[in-house]
Amino acid sequence: MSALGRILMVEDDPKDVMLTMTALEEYNLANEVVLVRDGEQALDYLYSRGSYAGREGESPAVLLLDLKLPKVDGLEVLRTIKSDEKLKMIPVVVLTSSREEKDMVASYQLGVNAYVVKPVDFHEFVNAVKELGVFWAVVNEPPPGSARKR
Amino acid sequence: MSELGVNVDGDAVGRPALRSFVSSWAGYGIAVLSVALALLIALGLEKLGVPDVAFPLMLLAIALTAWFSIPRAAIVALLLACLGFNFFFTRPFGSLVVSAADIPFYIAFTLLASLVAWFSATRRRIEEELRSSRDLLRNEVAERTLREQEIRTLNDALAERSKALQATNQELEAFAYSVSHDLRAPTRHIVGFTELLLKGAGAVLSDRSRQHAAMILESAQRMGTLVDDLLEFSRIGRVDTRKTMVGVQQIVQEAMSEVARQIDGRDIEWRIGPLPLVYADRAMLRVVLVNLISNAVKFTGTRARAVIEIGSTEPDPEHVVIRIRDNGVGFDMKYVGKLFGVFQRLHAMEAFEGTGIGLATVQRVVHRHGGRIWAEAAIEQGATFYFSLPKSAGATP
Repeated sequence: MSALGRILMVEDDPKDVMLTMTALEEYNLANEVVLVRDGEQALDYLYSRGSYAGREGESPAVLLLDLKLPKVDGLEVLRTIKSDEKLKMIPVVVLTSSREEKDMVASYQLGVNAYVVKPVDFHEFVNAVKELGVFWAVVNEPPPGSARKR
Repeated sequence: MSELGVNVDGDAVGRPALRSFVSSWAGYGIAVLSVALALLIALGLEKLGVPDVAFPLMLLAIALTAWFSIPRAAIVALLLACLGFNFFFTRPFGSLVVSAADIPFYIAFTLLASLVAWFSATRRRIEEELRSSRDLLRNEVAERTLREQEIRTLNDALAERSKALQATNQELEAFAYSVSHDLRAPTRHIVGFTELLLKGAGAVLSDRSRQHAAMILESAQRMGTLVDDLLEFSRIGRVDTRKTMVGVQQIVQEAMSEVARQIDGRDIEWRIGPLPLVYADRAMLRVVLVNLISNAVKFTGTRARAVIEIGSTEPDPEHVVIRIRDNGVGFDMKYVGKLFGVFQRLHAMEAFEGTGIGLATVQRVVHRHGGRIWAEAAIEQGATFYFSLPKSAGATP
C-alpha cells in the first residue's frame, strides 16, 4: 500500500465501533482511524475547535458518517460540511443501519459521496467496510490538503 | 303599502287564519263600515260646502273593501254605495226612487266601481302571491343555510378525521423508521459478535457449543431478513406508486439475476414467453417478480430438473395477466386462502426457508396497481401464480 489516508469515523454505538474497527484491522486500515462519538465532535474535529483546538489543519481522506447520532445528527453534519467552501471537498460516506429511502434521498441531495447500508450478515459487513476503507483511504486520491501517510 | 308589509311581516303563520276570518263575516263588515264611513264623510263635507265628493269617496270605499276583503264583499259594498248614493245624493233626496235620467249614471258608476274593485283585488292578489313566494324563498334560503351548515359540520368532521389519519400515518412512518434503524442494529451486532466469537474461540468450543453459536447466528440472520421483509411490506403500503410504461421482459431478466445466487448450480429450465409492456411502478413490479421467481426456484428445490415458465395472456383489451408456473412441490388448494396473508407459511421451516411475508407484499403491490392475484396448485404437481395489471394509464382497474 503506497499511502494511507486518514479515516474520520463518526459513530456513537460502541458495538458498531468495535465491529467496524475489527473489519478495518483485518486489512490493516485501522491505524489511521480517528473516532468521534457524535456530530458535534465531528464538526469540532473538522473545524479544529473545542476539544480539537490546536489540531493541525489536515482534513481526513474520508469521513465515515452514521446518520443517527447524539446532539448533531448525521444529516446535519453532512449539510454543514457540504455547504462549507473549505470542507465540502472531503469525501463523505454515509454508513448507516437505515434502509429508509428518505434518508438516502436526503443524503444524496446534500451531496454525499457514497451511501452504504450496513448489512446484517457479518461477512458482508466486513467486505463492505473493507471495500470502503480500501477505496477511500488507499485507492482514491483525496483532495489536496488531506492527511495521508506515505 | 309598507305599513301593510310590516303588519303581515310580523305574523306569517297567523295570516291564513286571519284571512279566512276576514273573508267570511268581517269582509261584509268592512264593506258596510267603509261605505258608511264614506257616506258620513261625504255628507259632512257637503254640509261644510264641499260638493261632489261622494263619488270618489264611494269608489275609495269599494276599492278598500276589494283590497282588504273578498270580491263578494266588494259587490256588497257596490250595492250599498249605489243605495246610499240614491238615498242621499240623487233627487229626490231621502228616497230610493231612481229617475230614468240617473240610470246611465248608475251604470257608469257600477262599471267604474267594478273596474276599481277588480284592479284593487288583482293588485291585492298579486301582492299576496308575491308575498307568499317571498316566504317560500325565505324558507328555502333558511333550509339551504341549514344544509350548508350541515355540510360545513360534516366537512369539519372529515377534516378532523383526515388529520387524525395523517397523524396515524406519520406515527406508522416513524415506527417503521425506528424499526429500520433500531432493530437492525442489534441484529447486526448479534451476528457480528457471534461470528467473532466463533472465529476467536471456535477451536476451544465443544461441537455442541459451536452448534449453539451457529443457531444464534441463524436466528439473528433470520430476524434480520424478517425485519427487512416487514419493512418492505410496510414501505409498499406507505409510498406513492410512480407508474410508467415498463417492459415485463426486462424486469424478469433483472429478477432472475437477483435470484441467481439462490439457484446455486441447480438444473433449471427456463421457458420465458414474449412478455408485454404494462403500466406499473417499476421498483414495485420488480419486487413482485423477484418474490414469485424466487418462490418458484425455492419450491422446485427437490426436483432433479426444475421447469419454470413465465408467460402472459390478455383476457381483455385493457389488462394483461402474467403467470409464473413451476413444477415444484405445489400446495394443497385447501389452503389457498392463506397464501397471501402476512406470516402465513404452508411448509415446514426446515423444508423451505422464508419469512412468510413475500406473497403478502406481492399481493399488496398488485392491489395497489388495481390488479388481482391468484394461484393454482396441487400437492407435488407444481404451482402457478397469476397476476393482472393494467396495460395503459387509462385502463380501469
